[in-house]
Amino acid sequence: MSEQTVTRTLDLAERFPGAVTPDERPGYEGYLVQPGRLLEVTTALRDELGFDYLSSVTGVDYLPEGKMEVVYHLYQSVGGSALVLKAQIPRDDPRAPSLVPVFPGAELQEREAYDLLGIRFEGHPDLRRILMWEGFEGHPLRKDWREPYYEEDAKPFKSRWPEGHVWRAEDKNPFHKNVSYPAGFNPETWVPEGDAALYAALGKVEQRGASTTMKTDQVIVNLGPQHPSTHGVFRMVVTLDGETVVALKPVMGYLHRNHEKIGERNTYLQNMPFTDRLDYFCSMSNNFGYALAVEKLMGVKPPERCEYIRVIMAELTRIVNHLLAIGFLLNDLGAYFTPLIYAFEERELILDVFEAVSGSRMMCNYFRFGGVARDFPEGVLERVRDLVYERLPRKIDELDLYLTNNDIIRMRAEGVGVLRPEQAIALSAVGPVLRGSGVPYDVRRADPYSIYERFDFDVAVRYHGDVYDRYLIRLDEIRQSLRILQQAVRDIPDGPIQEGKPQYQVRVPAGEAYGRVEGPKGELGYYVISNGKPNPWRYHVRAPSFINLTTLEPMALGNKIADVVIILGSIDIVLGEVDR
Amino acid sequence: MDAGLILEWVIKSLLMVFGLLGAFAYLTLYERKALARIQARVGPNRAGPGGWLQPIADAVKLIFKEELIPSSAFRLVFILAPVITVVPALIILAVVPFGPDVILFGRRISMSVADVNVGVLYIMAIASISVYGIVLAGWSSNNKYAMLGGIRSSAQMISYELALGMAFIGPVLLAGSMSLMDIVEAQRKVWFVVYQPVGAFVFWIATLAEVNRAPFDMPEAEQELTAGYHTEYSGLKFSLFFMAEYIKMIAVSAIAATLFFGGFRGPFVDALPWMGPIYFFVKVVVLLFGMIWVRATLPRIRYDRLMSFGWKILFPLGLLNVFITAVGIVLADTFRYAIWLIPVASLSAFWAVAWLARGSVGTGEASQVRRRLSFND
Repeated sequence: MSEQTVTRTLDLAERFPGAVTPDERPGYEGYLVQPGRLLEVTTALRDELGFDYLSSVTGVDYLPEGKMEVVYHLYQSVGGSALVLKAQIPRDDPRAPSLVPVFPGAELQEREAYDLLGIRFEGHPDLRRILMWEGFEGHPLRKDWREPYYEEDAKPFKSRWPEGHVWRAEDKNPFHKNVSYPAGFNPETWVPEGDAALYAALGKVEQRGASTTMKTDQVIVNLGPQHPSTHGVFRMVVTLDGETVVALKPVMGYLHRNHEKIGERNTYLQNMPFTDRLDYFCSMSNNFGYALAVEKLMGVKPPERCEYIRVIMAELTRIVNHLLAIGFLLNDLGAYFTPLIYAFEERELILDVFEAVSGSRMMCNYFRFGGVARDFPEGVLERVRDLVYERLPRKIDELDLYLTNNDIIRMRAEGVGVLRPEQAIALSAVGPVLRGSGVPYDVRRADPYSIYERFDFDVAVRYHGDVYDRYLIRLDEIRQSLRILQQAVRDIPDGPIQEGKPQYQVRVPAGEAYGRVEGPKGELGYYVISNGKPNPWRYHVRAPSFINLTTLEPMALGNKIADVVIILGSIDIVLGEVDR
Repeated sequence: MDAGLILEWVIKSLLMVFGLLGAFAYLTLYERKALARIQARVGPNRAGPGGWLQPIADAVKLIFKEELIPSSAFRLVFILAPVITVVPALIILAVVPFGPDVILFGRRISMSVADVNVGVLYIMAIASISVYGIVLAGWSSNNKYAMLGGIRSSAQMISYELALGMAFIGPVLLAGSMSLMDIVEAQRKVWFVVYQPVGAFVFWIATLAEVNRAPFDMPEAEQELTAGYHTEYSGLKFSLFFMAEYIKMIAVSAIAATLFFGGFRGPFVDALPWMGPIYFFVKVVVLLFGMIWVRATLPRIRYDRLMSFGWKILFPLGLLNVFITAVGIVLADTFRYAIWLIPVASLSAFWAVAWLARGSVGTGEASQVRRRLSFND
């Protein structure tokens, strides 16, 4: 591992003299790239060294040093560890070249970095705000941006209990004090001009079928934000020609709460329950990724039994998520709740296990740095054993039997919403969407973490890339998860579940770390930067649902409006994670 | 025409309308309970013992809900549309006999509101009217979803009406009359579903489309069009649409029972006339369960495939069935058992069409698309 890094250092610095230098700050890894030569370097990396998969793009505001940094995590789609590139740009004029021409998957992430940090990506086709509303003033992730009711930079607040009595910031701080509006802005009379920009982004679509004599008008329809099939408050602006979709733009941010900014004020441990709220169906996986990132910084390793418990929980979560994904997909197809409720029945049994170990069914808050919160109570492991050996395999076969060969499902889902493998890689698709398109990329195998190397399982792949395959692959993955679970409950050793003493306040040395897990929806990454203080300097979540949405537009174009709904269902998004 | 006859009509019409309204209320409960059982749930069980007062609670809720009319809607049409939808649903059953004639107060009273001699034609005509309500509702709401729903429904209902008409012709030919009473009497020995299995099948599918039930509930496809043509409706006006849909369900089940399942005919009806309505009721309930069952188990078909299914499979199948029936009846005049040629020939035609269709619509086509798509070749 370290040897590889050394050789690569030499290679890159030699290959791009003057453009690339190793990042030598203590605790940091990767390379610094001259912003002006970023496109050249990444194109060469993609074409010559096979780093064809841009996983994460984010920015960091180094306020004391007066600079900003754009951080890129690149991977080879054949597997392997990350290549981290950083472009340092001046803070007062943050401009970086857009990577969209090389990696189209960077589109939404660059918009996010622009929105939250104000980094202008030159050459980006559609650089608008994405999570914040259009009239928002400022860029909230900048360190000098203060939110309304601002108290202090870090939690817990020192001033909350000055003389033993409590007050709330809201009482002291009248509403308008910290809210800044652009000059001449009146929120009462404001009309969103973002909508105009949005409709302009849809573009003038060429009249299709010009040879026919019948002239048809195109209609712009807003699917959402209040719509039964958007799985939350998500909006798709589509241009329809008849019932055929000719242009589509996703609009998100309705659930935005600036997770990352709050994460920077929280202490490291306070963030753990906070990650539960990202993808609220899979809190265990969210915990896992965050724990890995912070453990990497701290340099601790959880004990053996804890690793097994973590794997068991993560795989049970995957089963929960995929059951729901299949159920909701069927719902989107118009099956009136029946498959969904049968899927829910199994999910409840798994949630019983979560409740037994963590005390909560959905917001588990179960992982700790170097361990987990509690061991299995008596009898619970037996219940898991019973589930994974007896009940779940039977029920999955039942789902398979009733759904997979249903004529209407095949008619609706086969050949619809096709994503080709090279497209999927270029668009940074992850998880079942990527594997359903024939790319066998699974973080558990490609860049193993925890103890996944020990288990015998296959990376499920399907080769058609349509909605039907994305349904099938979820069934396949449930079966593979069951295989892992069967091995895990068989081999789980006795022992402690926590490395050292459980701590409320952890000491995290300065540096950066990127922890990633194969979450049920795809690669879930946490990019954490510590400066040695009790709160992270930067806490970034690479959310799989969010980045998978890049694939929505290419998949939906040319399909019927009914298909768009199932295509969105087959991506399987959770808005808590998309909007953060 | 004496005063007694008019009084009889008024009483029968009132009984019919109020009976249908009550039946509508309890059909919703029946559907929710049945769906719940199929979905491993309990269903409504809060209002009243075992949830039996749920429809009343629903009605109270719907009546007191705020009625909104969008500012840019065409007010007159917007208000008229639910009425246009619900009235045909209420009057369509006027020609369906619920039992044999009875002698009451010295009068011979037939158990249908009006036993007209062109009953089948009447049903066809009335059934076509309700599409206007839906289209107008969709158009007058000035809402894109509603518009799409309205357009879908007009296309869908017109397409499936043809197949429905073809399915009507079978029983009419067999009975030699368009009066529903005569059709019921003609099924004294054998139900027409035995002679007309394909006709009954076509009728069943076409009615599902006609009353916008799953898997043909395009016009109100929740997942795509939020609520389709009634997106903008609320309160009582919404409940009129709701009512129309469920009353139409009852109506088509009653018509199906009359045309293909012997109507009120059953053992001992001649001796005990009051058994007639009971048989009829049981048949309707069973047919209604069929609709609910389909809704609970099947996903929705996509709109364009629905159209191609209606035009390329259902309509030709109905035509073939009419042709075979006519030939069978002519042959039966000379050879007594030639009547059995009808089910045999029509069933073979059914399998032939199903086999031929595999390549053009449905799974066959999708699989071909998929085969072309596969990345590993």
